[in-house]
Amino acid sequence: MGCGMRLIPILSCKKAGVKEKYKMDANDNIILEVKHLKQYFPIHKGLLQKVVGYVKAVDGVSFFIRENEVLGLVGESGCGKTTTGRAILRLYDPTAGEIWFRRRNGERVEISRISQKEMKPLRREMRMIFQDPFSSLNPRLTVKDIIGEPLVIHGVARGKEMEDRVAELMRAVGLDPAYMRRYPHEFSGGQRQRIGLARTLSLSPRLIIADEPVSALDVSVQAQVLNLLQELQGRLGLTLLFIAHDLSVVEHVSDRIAVMYVGKIVEMAETEEVLRHPLHPYTEALISAVPPADPDIRLNRIVLEGEVASPVHPPAGCIFHPRCRYAKDACSKEEPKLAEVEPDHYVSCHLAAELSLQGIGG
Amino acid sequence: MDQASQSAPSAISAVSSEEEQHESYFQLVWKRFKKSKPAIIGGLMIIALAILAIFSDFFSPTDPRELNMPSSFTPPQRIHFVDAEGKFHLRPFTYKQVIELEPQTYRPLWSEDTSRRYHLKFFVRSWEYKLLGIFSTRWHLFGVEEGGTVCLLGTDKFGRDLWGRACRAGRISLSMSLFGTFISVAVGSVLGVVSGYYGGRIDAVLQRFIEFVNSFPQLPLWMTLAAIIPPTWDSFRIFLIMSVIFALLSWTVLAREVRGKVMAFRETDFILAAKEMGASDLRIIFRHLYPNALSHIIVVLTLTIPQIILAEAFLSFLGIGIQEPLVSWGFLMKNAQNLQTLGSHPWIMSPVIFIIIAVLGFNFVGDGLRDAADPYSIV
Repeated sequence: MGCGMRLIPILSCKKAGVKEKYKMDANDNIILEVKHLKQYFPIHKGLLQKVVGYVKAVDGVSFFIRENEVLGLVGESGCGKTTTGRAILRLYDPTAGEIWFRRRNGERVEISRISQKEMKPLRREMRMIFQDPFSSLNPRLTVKDIIGEPLVIHGVARGKEMEDRVAELMRAVGLDPAYMRRYPHEFSGGQRQRIGLARTLSLSPRLIIADEPVSALDVSVQAQVLNLLQELQGRLGLTLLFIAHDLSVVEHVSDRIAVMYVGKIVEMAETEEVLRHPLHPYTEALISAVPPADPDIRLNRIVLEGEVASPVHPPAGCIFHPRCRYAKDACSKEEPKLAEVEPDHYVSCHLAAELSLQGIGG
Repeated sequence: MDQASQSAPSAISAVSSEEEQHESYFQLVWKRFKKSKPAIIGGLMIIALAILAIFSDFFSPTDPRELNMPSSFTPPQRIHFVDAEGKFHLRPFTYKQVIELEPQTYRPLWSEDTSRRYHLKFFVRSWEYKLLGIFSTRWHLFGVEEGGTVCLLGTDKFGRDLWGRACRAGRISLSMSLFGTFISVAVGSVLGVVSGYYGGRIDAVLQRFIEFVNSFPQLPLWMTLAAIIPPTWDSFRIFLIMSVIFALLSWTVLAREVRGKVMAFRETDFILAAKEMGASDLRIIFRHLYPNALSHIIVVLTLTIPQIILAEAFLSFLGIGIQEPLVSWGFLMKNAQNLQTLGSHPWIMSPVIFIIIAVLGFNFVGDGLRDAADPYSIV
């Protein structure tokens, strides 16, 4: 378990081997690349349901994930993290942008506009873990049917064969297969999330989008589920997009971190790099809010002023400028682009080169 | 795997320590349903009526189809334990009913001839019938000694025992309401699920259509529909078409209810999860939405049945519903339309008791089910 039980400590031990591997062949190992993804939701009004505006939940998000890597996607509630994850899996039809996925056979496919029918075979390779273990399991189905449903839908296994596979999956996530005929309400939150995890793993996916998989759980159970997820990721060679609002959870599991603010990625780099050497003022504020493990350490919290920008009417220029303490004139006029300022360190800030921001232990 | 298997047992030990009995959904519903007294009473009322209807011949001492003009409009006969001299008898008996005409008005006056007692007997052999339509038998639950009669609810215009007729009418009244409800549920739940699941334009069109159906004045529509049934049709076809007529006007309530439920479920994570794993719309509807809306469908179903019973009774009372040789509770009271007839023979209204019991019974059960149908509400 090693560093497993330490949830709060900022710099936990990392799987050095994995990191070395992806560094070596960094560019051709990209399993998922999202380019300028936009997901707008129309706002209807009146009797005729006229469209009066759009909620720009995701507004030009770009990032990539390398094979076998865990990318943490952090941001506060309502910033579009979940929408991003769902749009990638085509639970929504993206408004604009591209989603490139590299299949098992090495073929690269653009999936943002393909039909649900064309998407179906891809769903075996990319799966999702849902946030709420209570509402994400159908209360009328037994655990066996819940975990086995993807197998049936994709014609992988039926009947006895399906049952054997479900038993195997239940063991893999630490559940006793003897309970496969029970209903979800007979399990605790942590156990339900394990059921959800088994369902996600049932088709041996390569990419998993974990949408806040532990934020609905008790802290004590969070660690167990996180460790299980990490252990399975390493053993099965999974690639994970780990969505969370809690930086201390994300830094625990992620190789790299992408920080999101009101529908946009503001910074993306290796976990340690982001934490020690943030380049975006929003990241700096986020890091300053993480409680340290040692209660004696004085907290130097940066309290952001003002409200989170509205995704319906985002401010002109840099979306963060109304709350940014370093903002200059240019920030309110021109929108910064996400650029690779340092090797593998992407940031979208006009002042990235000038500012020297406070990270952890810096 | 090692890490997982080590950390796992602590998480599941709470459940795995003993193999407790786990309950299915319907076991849970039954457990909570049992706790509601009115629901159990309502259930018993319905079961009693159903038994009376199915085995109506067994429960009627005289053939309810046989005409017996001399005993036309006999009032309900009393079952006596104490005879005219005040002597108590352990075995209940009836007196012979005799008719006299009032000298001035020629109004028939019924009185009891206390000179002859007819003892009530149980499990007697009398007129022949086919039990469940298959077994020919002569056994009846009760009857009186040879020569006497027992008419618990009196007789109708043709001297037929109203008790036996009412039991028999339950067959049509209950089966028609069940069949009509079945059609109503089939149509209503399918359209409700489609409307709620797909939303958008389909939903708008269906909802406007439901509003259109609801804004129709029900009574004239029923009467029109009932009136266009060709009188030459055989009774089974009339039965079917009447059921359809009642169903066509009652499915809207269910469709609305199911739509609302489905709309709530559509946004839940487990439907999203089903989409995420690539489930087809049909699979999502029948495997995920339907089972979760089922509790509501059952509740609406139990509340639709009494509505159809009442509607059928209403139409048949007006004489535009069921026709002879079929009989329903409403049909039995058709003669009560005439105020003079009703005034001098009030007992022909007695099938009302059956209707009231049936409607109350289904409503009690429906209320009980409504509370019991959602066993996870505490979770």
